[in-house]
Amino acid sequence: MNAIELNGVTWRYEHAEEPALVDVNLAISEGEFVLVIGPNEAGKTTLVSAIKGLIPNAITGVLKGDVLVFGDRVESIKPPVLAKQIGFVFADPESQFTALTVEEEIVFGLENVGWPRETIGERVEWAARITGVEDLLDKPPYDISGGQKQRVAIASVIAMQPRILILDEPTAMIDPLGKDLVVRICAELKNDHDMTIVVVEHNIEAFAPLADKVVMVNEGRVERIAPPREIFRDLDHLLARDVHPPQVTQVFGRLRERGLYHGELPLSDEEGFAGWRTLLDGAAR
Amino acid sequence: MSLLEVNDLTFRYEDGTPALRGIDFTVEEGEFIALIGQNGSGKTTFAKSLAGLLRPTTGRVVVDGIDTARKGVIKELVRRIGYVFQNPDHQLFNNNVYAEIAYGPRNLGIDDPERDEIVREAAAVAGVREALFTEHPFFLTKGLRQRIAIASTLAMRPKAIIVDEPTTGQDYRQSAEIMNFLTRLWRDEGHTIIIVTHEMPIVAAYAQRVVALCEGRILLDGTTRDVFARPDELRRTFVKPPQVTRLAQAWGDPAIPSDVITVEELVDGAVSSIAGRSSHSPAGISPGAEPASPRGPGREV
Repeated sequence: MNAIELNGVTWRYEHAEEPALVDVNLAISEGEFVLVIGPNEAGKTTLVSAIKGLIPNAITGVLKGDVLVFGDRVESIKPPVLAKQIGFVFADPESQFTALTVEEEIVFGLENVGWPRETIGERVEWAARITGVEDLLDKPPYDISGGQKQRVAIASVIAMQPRILILDEPTAMIDPLGKDLVVRICAELKNDHDMTIVVVEHNIEAFAPLADKVVMVNEGRVERIAPPREIFRDLDHLLARDVHPPQVTQVFGRLRERGLYHGELPLSDEEGFAGWRTLLDGAAR
Repeated sequence: MSLLEVNDLTFRYEDGTPALRGIDFTVEEGEFIALIGQNGSGKTTFAKSLAGLLRPTTGRVVVDGIDTARKGVIKELVRRIGYVFQNPDHQLFNNNVYAEIAYGPRNLGIDDPERDEIVREAAAVAGVREALFTEHPFFLTKGLRQRIAIASTLAMRPKAIIVDEPTTGQDYRQSAEIMNFLTRLWRDEGHTIIIVTHEMPIVAAYAQRVVALCEGRILLDGTTRDVFARPDELRRTFVKPPQVTRLAQAWGDPAIPSDVITVEELVDGAVSSIAGRSSHSPAGISPGAEPASPRGPGREV
């Protein structure tokens, strides 16, 4: 059974003339890390809103097709159940803050679903440790840096230990150190906690090395679904849509086009270093 | 006389927190500068000090001959330096686009028809169509609101414009649009441009000079290439050079300049390095390869 399945999903926002999603088919297995890319207005946020059931439950419009979460139609899943299945982190962390301290913020969702007190304590500790916000627990969530806010937002969502975590442009508003920390948190959740993770990001360089699968969205359609090394082969196609693969991938893609490189496309600095060694060994022979 | 002269500038917030700890800095007319640094490094405080929005605790900021600490100079200052906030909504408050752009010149006591002319010109330069003049700014896209914010700054005709995080939260296309627009202001209209940003690809593609702040001091100040070629110092600001620069530095290949800042430059360097190596081994290179680029000499193996 897939963690997430979209079958022929077409969605038009109320009052909109054109549909925002057109015949989207997508299957994500449990434990997969999926990176959703594409230009702004392509439908990326709409797509993940549909997975979370915000569409059609909280937003009005016309939906065709099925969105299944662990086999059940998302609109039929009761909110407390869905809250344990899917967590959602927004680009702007403040938009989800409601409490006066960081700790209360993290506790909020847990209390809502009625966990016993000791479980809540353990969960808060766990979520705060992974996100590195232990020292901020008694601070007001408004009085910390942008990067810290985003980590608090992630903590409050993962405290519920959802099986699926969706992050919509989680690094868009924060500084370089903050971006690195968010990427590291995602890596830990993937590697050590087997979460199914769906990230919408323009910062492809940071997330491509983690991704099992990349979903390219353009004009409301899913244009391609493939592992990153495959999807980034179509360099000119992506650049024409203003989607920029990691620079290291671009460099080796160009070298491949010139017949100078024959190995796998690298996705990270480390792979780029290894790729260059391989290439030189080939050239020296 | 330089356009901006900063001498031993310090700034403390009211609660005593030091934000700037002694900065000396000069800007000549016509520069395109990126201020970079970690959150809390003082870069926004510094940028606001340059625009006279914050008064120095000690030291001096002189903008085109005007000391920003002097009383009653704000009208003089806004004609010399403008500041565009990261969030355009922090500075847009009028009910329609025209009134927004006309607000500055109105405050400076400029009347129609001159004011009307200035408004239309600033709007045209900023790419705000006159058809939008009667719209309420809040119902327009963020990109347009930012242009309106820039137009209202341009309407004061300042020599220098500081833009705080022009591309944050924008996608590639929108970022390129804004940056190309700032480049036009710089190249064609002769404005001095200072951006505050976290986006290193943007810095690499557009800025001529980079100033990196760390803990309230200037850590690095030089051409964009020079600054990115110093990864050890940059690391202290938590800023990474663009990935291609990091690769060139990690490879340490004599045929590849360590200050490349674009994909094309690194590809050229790599091609010339390979060509240099394989000139002694005829089988090593495919016919599609180009000869060594003029940037880096081929390498003897």
